[in-house]
Amino acid sequence: MAQALPTRKAAPGFTLFKWILLGPLFGLLLFILPAFLLQLYFSFHSWTVYLGSWWEAEFVGLGMFIEVLMDSRFWWAVLRSLTFASLSTLGSFAAGFGLALLMHRPFRGHGLLYAVFILPMLTVPVVIAYTFEMLLFQRGPINGILSVLLQTDVRVTWLAHPAIAVFTVIMLEIWNWTPFVFIIMLAGLASLPPELDEAARILGASRWRIFREVQLPLLRPVIMLALILRFLEAMGEFPKTWGLLQGGPGSASETLPVYLFLTTWQYFHISKGAAMSYLVLIFTIVIVLAGIRLLRKEKQTIDVIYRKPGEEA
Amino acid sequence: MKRTMKRRLFAAGRFFLLGIALFVVGFPMYWMLITSFKPDHEWFTWPPVYWSENWTLDNYRVVWAGIGIKPTAQEATTMQKPVQALKHSLALSLISTTLSVAFGTLVAYGVSRYQILSDRRMFNLLMLRMVPPIVVAAPLTLYYSTLQLLDTLTGLVIVYVLTTLPYSIWMTKSFLDEIPREMEQAASILGAGRWRTIWEVIFPLIRSGVVATFLFILILTWSEYLLALILSKVDVVTLPVQLSKYEGTTEGRVYGYQAALAVGVTLPLIVIGCFIRKHLVRGFSFGMIKR
Repeated sequence: MAQALPTRKAAPGFTLFKWILLGPLFGLLLFILPAFLLQLYFSFHSWTVYLGSWWEAEFVGLGMFIEVLMDSRFWWAVLRSLTFASLSTLGSFAAGFGLALLMHRPFRGHGLLYAVFILPMLTVPVVIAYTFEMLLFQRGPINGILSVLLQTDVRVTWLAHPAIAVFTVIMLEIWNWTPFVFIIMLAGLASLPPELDEAARILGASRWRIFREVQLPLLRPVIMLALILRFLEAMGEFPKTWGLLQGGPGSASETLPVYLFLTTWQYFHISKGAAMSYLVLIFTIVIVLAGIRLLRKEKQTIDVIYRKPGEEA
Repeated sequence: MKRTMKRRLFAAGRFFLLGIALFVVGFPMYWMLITSFKPDHEWFTWPPVYWSENWTLDNYRVVWAGIGIKPTAQEATTMQKPVQALKHSLALSLISTTLSVAFGTLVAYGVSRYQILSDRRMFNLLMLRMVPPIVVAAPLTLYYSTLQLLDTLTGLVIVYVLTTLPYSIWMTKSFLDEIPREMEQAASILGAGRWRTIWEVIFPLIRSGVVATFLFILILTWSEYLLALILSKVDVVTLPVQLSKYEGTTEGRVYGYQAALAVGVTLPLIVIGCFIRKHLVRGFSFGMIKR
């Protein structure tokens, strides 16, 4: 997009200049690299903390990977993570976009409402987990309010029933990240040229048609951005699921990050954890790369939409 | 006539929906706040106490000042820590955020002006953030323990800087891209060197953007949980990790203390967040959406 400054690129000392700018980043990357190599070592050797020194571990080849792939609990965790990520993404998208549509025209109290609506995103995830634990326990205020509203004694076990607990963690993720979609979609709506809207209205289009045939297509890149970023982040969600339920009840809320954590830090099965980590790493990298590819494509459209007057093409 | 009716109905519906949303968002926050002021006999009652008549600051005293009412041995040890955790959290997030923004701005400048990283590489950088840190956590622990970095601030600073760099690079780059490059051409004609141009011409122009980036990344580092949980044990405690230790010995979780701590952890972020609310979109979208 922007042109480089060609005259200076060839200037003496540019290479040094460039490497000073990149130095810290590459230094840190190099520093962390051995951790990945160690992980490779562990995934091909069998070692748990109960055994002796890790450098004397037995070589098992692909044994660890096979053990993980044969582990049905692992596959359930994969499935759960995918379900968790897609449902929470869709949920927060629907809620966030809805809110943005309700809020995109100014009214009295707009600023205050906006400030309140972004609160969940600013709250520390662990705090959310523990606050909702207070709210959701069987004799807690959520059941209390429901009891008053429905005029019966509501005793939903939000945290102890396997099927409901899954629903609960998804709701938590939605509550936490609806503001993310909300602010992005609000920015998207604000960037739409008002002339189009007016033109369509003069031509007699209904509100719904304007939304579907004028606004939605223009918002597509922004929508994609929100969905992709949200999905990728949800795949790695840990603090809320862990803080609230530690994977339980049973293994009902055991997503991939939680199962990885349990394998390594509760069962101390370092090698299995490492092999699993590698599989998850490859799995996530595939998803992330696909996401990034899409992002790159949408970014070009977004750049056109958000170009400030006077900024070069 | 019919038209105004319809419009009124629309407005009413809108405020009804907004009211529900306000309740859904506000109630948990309200509950956290009110529980932190409740005396201990009101934590678990049925029906729940929605509006306490017996406001008290005891929870705050116990948690933040260490003045316990009846400190059993176990409780006494956990209660000493919040102040220490506060210090560690502050040091950790301030140091790592400063470094992240400093390093990030350098890279962003190079990319914005000289394309020292290709577009593809810039996008691949996002992986540092997108790949959940848990996948390298185990070997990282062993690696750190051989380097004696486990349970130290330095060790945590390194991983925090790495995981926030994508944000700081992308965000500052989006601010830099808005500065016309005639600035540098003018500076170069006047004879300023590269570094002087950066420091005396460009930096003053993006200062407010850098501050916004700094505060945004401060939010991320302050709330980080997983890495802190894994890479620290005794010597280093951060507030989010401290929070998970409020499991009472006999009576389950001690809600009041926990809430008093939670309020303290959350409040600074809400202040910062409202302060930079215009830049939050830019931050969370890696600078891709500017407003």
